[in-house]
Amino acid sequence: MEVRILSRNFDIADAHLLEVAKQHGAYATLEKVFAMPPADVTDEVKNSGLRGRGGAGFPAGLKWSFLPKGLDKPVYLTVNSDESEPATFKDRYILTRDPHLLIEGIIICCYAIGCHDCYIYIRGEYTTQRKALQYAIDEAYAAGYLGEKVAGHDFKLDVTIHRGAGAYVCGEETALLESIEGRKGQPRSKPPFPAVAGLYGCPTIINNVQTIASLPFILANGAAAYKAYGTEKSPGTHLFGISGHVEKPGMYELPLGLPLLEVIEKVAGGVWRGRKMKAVIPGGSSTPVLTPEEAATTTLDYESMAAHKTMFGSGGIVVLDETVDVVKLTKNLIDFYHHESCGQCTPCREGLGWMLKIVKQLLRGEGTIADIELLRELCDNIEMKTVCVLSAACTMPVRSYLDKFRSEFVAYATDRP
Amino acid sequence: MAETVKLFVNGQEVEVESGKNLIDAFKVIGIEIPHFCYHPALGADGNCRMCLVGIEDGRPPLVPACKTPVAEGLKVQLDAEKIKKIQHDVMELELINHPTDCPVCDQAGECALQDYYMSYDHQPSRMRVPQVLKGKKMDFGGGVIHDQERCVLCARCVRFTRLITKTGELGIVNRSDDARVTTFPGRQLDNRYALNVVDLCPVGAMTSKDFRFKQRAWFLTRSPGICHGCAKGCNIYIDHNCEKGGDDRIYRFRPRHNHLVNGYFICDTGRLSYHQENEGRLAVTRLDGKDCTLDQAVETARRKVENARKPLFLISPNCTIEQMIAIKALAAARKGKLSGYSDSYVMAGDGDDFLIQDDKSANRAGLAALGIDITREGFTQALNEADLLVNFNNDLLRSETNSAFAEKLSALTVIAVSSHDNDLTRKATVAFPVSSYSEYGGTIINQDQIVQRFSIAVIKNDPAPNMIEVVRLLGGPITEETAITKAMREAIPVLAGIEATAFPTAGLNLKEKETDHVTA
Repeated sequence: MEVRILSRNFDIADAHLLEVAKQHGAYATLEKVFAMPPADVTDEVKNSGLRGRGGAGFPAGLKWSFLPKGLDKPVYLTVNSDESEPATFKDRYILTRDPHLLIEGIIICCYAIGCHDCYIYIRGEYTTQRKALQYAIDEAYAAGYLGEKVAGHDFKLDVTIHRGAGAYVCGEETALLESIEGRKGQPRSKPPFPAVAGLYGCPTIINNVQTIASLPFILANGAAAYKAYGTEKSPGTHLFGISGHVEKPGMYELPLGLPLLEVIEKVAGGVWRGRKMKAVIPGGSSTPVLTPEEAATTTLDYESMAAHKTMFGSGGIVVLDETVDVVKLTKNLIDFYHHESCGQCTPCREGLGWMLKIVKQLLRGEGTIADIELLRELCDNIEMKTVCVLSAACTMPVRSYLDKFRSEFVAYATDRP
Repeated sequence: MAETVKLFVNGQEVEVESGKNLIDAFKVIGIEIPHFCYHPALGADGNCRMCLVGIEDGRPPLVPACKTPVAEGLKVQLDAEKIKKIQHDVMELELINHPTDCPVCDQAGECALQDYYMSYDHQPSRMRVPQVLKGKKMDFGGGVIHDQERCVLCARCVRFTRLITKTGELGIVNRSDDARVTTFPGRQLDNRYALNVVDLCPVGAMTSKDFRFKQRAWFLTRSPGICHGCAKGCNIYIDHNCEKGGDDRIYRFRPRHNHLVNGYFICDTGRLSYHQENEGRLAVTRLDGKDCTLDQAVETARRKVENARKPLFLISPNCTIEQMIAIKALAAARKGKLSGYSDSYVMAGDGDDFLIQDDKSANRAGLAALGIDITREGFTQALNEADLLVNFNNDLLRSETNSAFAEKLSALTVIAVSSHDNDLTRKATVAFPVSSYSEYGGTIINQDQIVQRFSIAVIKNDPAPNMIEVVRLLGGPITEETAITKAMREAIPVLAGIEATAFPTAGLNLKEKETDHVTA
């Protein structure tokens, strides 16, 4: 089931070094790309149907086309390498094992959108990854792939790494921009969207690492070759991080559209220790949970996930076995989002703390069924009332646990029947 | 009115001024959209989420009104159940960690949380878990005391120090419900406008050291007035109260919005200058340093004025135009010299580029409008020839401290007409107490040539007379209101075309053409 598009060099020793990477095709698409008009590059990406791999799945080529034309301001590309959604560990492989793939993708994107300054926002905890990426960038500069004349062409491009300081919310694209600009990482109200007024008030495209790293294949082999993988609305391949209670947790590149349970069974070796499955988190901690029954009809693509009232997310699949205490899991989940709430908007700032205290009270054996009802109501009261979707990233999964595993919550209530 | 657009509120068509956001545009037509973080001087931040309104067929269907400009045909929903529920939900969340210590909170009675609770929430608390505890009565400096638990994190104060004073002393540290407003370690609020954060704070998180625990807000009478602290003439509210068995006292000044003069703010010095209205006042008439009746004082003073060969009338640059006209007429009738010399009111270099001016007098432009000499040469020459000095509230001794001047003064007969007790009133042959600017009304012109009118705010149990009354008692020929008004209209022709009742509340800009003031 596994394919090798993004991950084709992952198992090659020292592929992070330019010399080795070049032997395996790094920067080979540039000649072709620079021979194309930039608009054609964008069209190729549009035609490939590549969707943003950060979690929201917005079509990448379409996003680029939102850039206003004829402005006398610089255009920025910001690569989102904050990768902080719990259960997500895909971009880190690209950063350490094939950083030149990312740089090649950056060159392609910047050429298409007319950007000469790219910032890579990398989470502060990624120290090894930053070193590997910086080493690759330095090598690319030395070899002339970055700088005044990219690969000998009349195109200037500088790439700068900006390290975050460990805030989940800085993965939200406008909080990320605030952070690069030197302010507290708090999301901005939209509109204006970053494509119109982003970094330093200039038009800015923000793409995930994996999105950018997908570009060399698309440009080298054409949109049709990319669409050969995946489904009609979810073309291509994706790096899935499968973790939790499976025999073979790890990062696997798969075409989109495969059946979820089959992937868990055949790729990740199935539920560990011969236990039964209780639930699956399909795409990172913020996606609503699926029961085994729901998982049975789910395929790994955007449309199937939406049909099951959850989200494709970041490809971070977590398998939960029958021993998992859903109430404790919910507590951990709220704890994380409460800790990471930037504190800007009232509902998220005050509400998540309240929800956390209610669950803790329940776990202490001091909660009632009315508290469970209140918890459920608070999910509705908080969600989508805020500047960004961090609050929803907490309330959507919490609501799914409350609705699908209500009996487990009730079992903790003092007034349980 | 500027350009307008037509849009719908709750299905009803309304016409509002274009270019404004929904909150400001609807406020003009009497529709309230609740909000904490938005303030017209500080812009829209969008953090409180209290102003979320529905937009029919809108994308997104829910928007913060503070960040949404009015647009032709927009269908705004304010009374939909969904919007009411959001307002209720946001209020509940604002209040869960709020100490609700209204009985000991200065803000009670003028608190957005209280008002909005009554209007938009009005439900018992469902909070059954411990509240978040934060810092209490933190001395931020600048006369500001902060309570982090009462704070709703609207960041108005933070934005004020960043956008208005550009001093940036305040910030919000921490995240989530641990977020709190604070100062940098070892640093304090240190700017001359710091107390404005107390007014800006929609709740009781920022309180004034000067005012806290002095009065409950609902006992205070809020009268409009004009600050006499400098030549800017900032518009203020004079908050005063006469407690049972006591006298009418001022408890605070607060800024009153005037787009022509001071915008939304006032300086701290001006704000605290109310103390001078309460304290150090001249209370009784005096004759040769001894208390006397008004009749005795008038008899002596009138005789001295009539008999003086070369009387000098000195006038304060804080007097109203009306008072100046009365004094000028008295001086002319007595063939005396008239001077508005008042260098002592100027503190060179003290002003800034915002509100504070070097000139600490309220109506120097009024002296100029009436052609009253203010030069030092004119004053000293007149003083050297004079045998009588009648001083109308000019605080001359603030700058004239040399002994030669004191010697000259001691050789003179002095009649002091004064609101405050000072060295001059104590040395004067006759001293008359008069009302101060919170106790009379009149017309003044600020340094930007804006004519402003104000009226009586405070009425004392035993009111001191207006200066014009003393001028009348001393034989002034123009002291009746109609005569003064006539003289004023002659001196400032633009006033002639405006009925007193039609005088614009924001004032009249003399620099603009007269035709600009003609109402259609």
